[in-house]
Amino acid sequence: MLDSVLKNDEKQDRNFKILIYIATVAIVFLALAGRLFYLQYIQYEENFQRSENNRMRRIVLTAERGSIFDRNEKVLVRNRPSYQIAVLPSELKNRDSVFQRLLRIKDSTGARIFDSASVDTAFQRSRWIKHGFLRILEDASPEQVSIIEERSADLPGVVTLVESRREYPYGTMAAHVFGYTGEVSEEQLDKEEFKNYSLGDRIGQKGLEKEYDHEFRGTDGVKFIEVNAFGREVGLIQGMGIQEAIPGYHMVTTLDLELQRVAEEALPDSVRGAIVALDPRTGEILAMVSSPRLDPNIFSLKRRERNKGWAEVALDSTRPLTNRAISGVYPPASVFKLITAGAGLENGFLSRHSYMPKPCTGGYQFGSRYQKCWGTHGRLDLVNAIRLSCDVYFYQAGLAIGMERINEFGERFGLGSILGVDIPGERGGWLPDSASFNARNKRNGWRWARGLILNLAIGQGQLVTPLQQAVMVGSMATGKGVYRPHFMKELRSFDGKVVRRYEPVKIHEGQMSAETHQILLDGMDSVVNHPGGTGRRAALPGIRVGGKSGSGEWKKGEKTHAWFVAVAPLEDPQIVVAVIQEAEGGGGAKSAPICRKIMEQYFFGSVEDEEKNKKEVLP
Amino acid sequence: MRGSGRFLDNTMKVDWFFLLLVLLLMSIGLTLVYSATATRETIWYQSLWFHQGIYFCAGCILAMFIALIKIDYWKKMAWPFYFMVIISLTFVALGGGDSAKGAGRWIDLGFIRIQPSEFAKIAYLLAISSWLSVHPVSLIRLKSLIVPGLIFIVPFLLVLKQPDLSTALVFTAVTLVGFYWAGLTLIDLFILLSPVFSVLLSYPQIPYSQILWGLLITAVFFVLIKYHYPKKLTILFLSLTIISGYASSMAWNSLEDHQRSRVMTFMDPMRDPQGEGYQVIQSKVAIGSGGLLGKGLGEGSQTNLAFLPEEHTDFIFSVLGEQFGFLGGFTALTLYFLFLWRGMSICRLHLDPFVNLVVAGACTIFLFHITVNISMTLGMMPVTGLPLPFLSYGGSFLLTCMMLVGLLVNMRYQGSQLENNYKN
Repeated sequence: MLDSVLKNDEKQDRNFKILIYIATVAIVFLALAGRLFYLQYIQYEENFQRSENNRMRRIVLTAERGSIFDRNEKVLVRNRPSYQIAVLPSELKNRDSVFQRLLRIKDSTGARIFDSASVDTAFQRSRWIKHGFLRILEDASPEQVSIIEERSADLPGVVTLVESRREYPYGTMAAHVFGYTGEVSEEQLDKEEFKNYSLGDRIGQKGLEKEYDHEFRGTDGVKFIEVNAFGREVGLIQGMGIQEAIPGYHMVTTLDLELQRVAEEALPDSVRGAIVALDPRTGEILAMVSSPRLDPNIFSLKRRERNKGWAEVALDSTRPLTNRAISGVYPPASVFKLITAGAGLENGFLSRHSYMPKPCTGGYQFGSRYQKCWGTHGRLDLVNAIRLSCDVYFYQAGLAIGMERINEFGERFGLGSILGVDIPGERGGWLPDSASFNARNKRNGWRWARGLILNLAIGQGQLVTPLQQAVMVGSMATGKGVYRPHFMKELRSFDGKVVRRYEPVKIHEGQMSAETHQILLDGMDSVVNHPGGTGRRAALPGIRVGGKSGSGEWKKGEKTHAWFVAVAPLEDPQIVVAVIQEAEGGGGAKSAPICRKIMEQYFFGSVEDEEKNKKEVLP
Repeated sequence: MRGSGRFLDNTMKVDWFFLLLVLLLMSIGLTLVYSATATRETIWYQSLWFHQGIYFCAGCILAMFIALIKIDYWKKMAWPFYFMVIISLTFVALGGGDSAKGAGRWIDLGFIRIQPSEFAKIAYLLAISSWLSVHPVSLIRLKSLIVPGLIFIVPFLLVLKQPDLSTALVFTAVTLVGFYWAGLTLIDLFILLSPVFSVLLSYPQIPYSQILWGLLITAVFFVLIKYHYPKKLTILFLSLTIISGYASSMAWNSLEDHQRSRVMTFMDPMRDPQGEGYQVIQSKVAIGSGGLLGKGLGEGSQTNLAFLPEEHTDFIFSVLGEQFGFLGGFTALTLYFLFLWRGMSICRLHLDPFVNLVVAGACTIFLFHITVNISMTLGMMPVTGLPLPFLSYGGSFLLTCMMLVGLLVNMRYQGSQLENNYKN
């Protein structure tokens, strides 16, 4: 009984709460319905008129992409205007008749302006994409634009736009460094880092364009305009204001246009290879070539030609898309003997006057194996062994020193790991020792054997990039540490203010004793300047050039990869040049002359330069 | 008596009227998503309305499963769910989540991406209901509010950090209704919230805010005396109200200009007609131009709604208003009202406080979403990202809604034999 009374109380209390709750809901919903009624009945006329006349359009003002300049402020990459003919989905009426009319339009030569496939695609997409523009003709000629403008009354919803597209005035020159721009892909749009991008935006897809996309890009603006029934702009909407676009930053790079030009000429498309020239004191890259090349201008062309050009470079077996200077890994070949020599000196296994137990008789007997040398050099001290690049000397030195010590010395100069250059795609190479060799070859069952040291001591078996090779020799010559190689020198805002400057970054100490440093310099000197040196063709009158040749074996029966790395002047190194030509033969014969040409340009320039030196000055 | 299954209830009856309401709302939603996005040319199985349909079917199966589980089992599972959700919210808050689409709200399990804050709504509802059902609260015994306060504040702050203010406010609404059901009177709630009102009144855009603030203090004081609250409590809440008012206006003045303008734009989107205000203007014009009967299915979207980027998600009500006019909007409101009324009527059938709390909380989640979303499209409230139940496009939220529907269906008849005994 008592229980029942209690329950009755509880029930009443609960019903009251339910009542309050439902009453609250009712009040809230009545308020919403009232507002709905206000907008849809009392304000109906006004709102209806506004919707009928709603020809307000939100226009994104694309920011001008920053240009790229060389170190002397000559323009390397810029923008050009490009006319686009597009449809505006929200304005497109009488689709079928507009479609037919578009296809009938011909230019003065009688050719159709539009191809039915791209117009058809745009029209299909226009049914569900309601924002922005759908292009039906990219990169239209002025004639095509004027034809369309004349007939605009018959073509509601068809508009012409001016966009700015990237232009690479020197074509393939340094194409791998600049990269290219393309439309942002849908996969990219899904990612967090691209949240400020929208479909149709152009974005750097490789090289500097990609690495510094954010800096080049600037900030898009927006304006609200009123349009007439044909979709043409009538004027700005009052009170909505306009937010101007802020152009992206210009970049002054470390590249030297003239040096780059000489380097490009030295390595024709028929030769596969790479050239890197840099300043070892700061890491500034002066020139970088990878051959064969691609022309980044194809990515700014209209879709069909772009696809064709893309297919050509993508399917090419010589892989022109790869930047061999940073992504190509090669055996360092005899250039690595500098590392072996340095490791021996630092660890007390070698000195300036070290002679090996066995003189070079054209080969070396190791167990049951006979390892050849490329010549017959007799009894040599260290400097002369470097000069003549004697394999037998370094076989024995390597066996005594051991790979761990040699690799440790190599790592001091940036081998075996990426250097952090400011374009994407760099590879780090590989310095094998017993542990890493076994780990890497676990699957195919190869085991480390002491005999492998013979190959590794002369640089056959490691992997390095041309960039690493240049940085290694350069920092070894300066003896002042390894600086991160980079292209960015300065970023400037559109009004010319410097907004960021690249401060050189020391990434390795490159420590060695003064004695070691001097012996290595003498070795590099003798290679170029002493009789019989393998790099005589790199010699430059008036400048003391040092260097080291290499001939990388990569496949039995094929010509070797021709390496040469030169550095000058030896008293105070300012430039180091690394050249590799795939399967072209001996480094001293083939690549040393290229080094010489580049050094010559660097130190003496050429007369024609003076004429070309008309600066395209920054705004 | 009840079925013999260990946790499945096999004496289920189904509330067909309630399900009919869900089905009607859902079909309106699918129609609108279809008219806002689909076209003849899109392949049907790639279109958004079809995706939404798939999610609805999945939601139905989930709801059916949930409806079959015994209430006791939900009581038992409330805490494990709650702690699981707290852990995953913490994981997201510490930056472990995948931060697609702006804020970091997702956890990627490889095969499926989970948005823990969606599940948090349900887990929190079960947990707070489970606690309050055995520990009634009272303002006079302030201690009774400590544990439920903690249960509330942890997920609240974690979600706020994402940042997802609107979901955090969903928790708040559920908590307040829970407190009401578990013992606080309306007067208690007014006193409890008075510091919050005080903070809101310090916002300078409100006309006569100082006078209103004075009135608030007077009212709080009067109420505290009139209803004989203990002295300590009177002093505590009166000073809290005054201090929070001063503190917030000081905080407001110490904000940087751009921060202040961000808050003001949030409160009043019209201040930024190029950004959020743009959507609201377009939404109001779209709805208003629909008139009493609307422009008809598929009409109007070409001219007007082309300006609404979020038309099929957050602004779906604008599509409804433009295409079906006042008739359509009012119908949707009526269906929602019937839905909530039918849902709340479950409370009449049960004495079990747990069931009461879950039902009231679930209805509150729906109510909050409906009110905030529709007010936003009508230009009455800030633009938040809360979707409209059953109408907006979006898989995770639809699943949450269907799970709540499952819970409500579950609780209608299960265990209501109690009620029958009591009637006799």
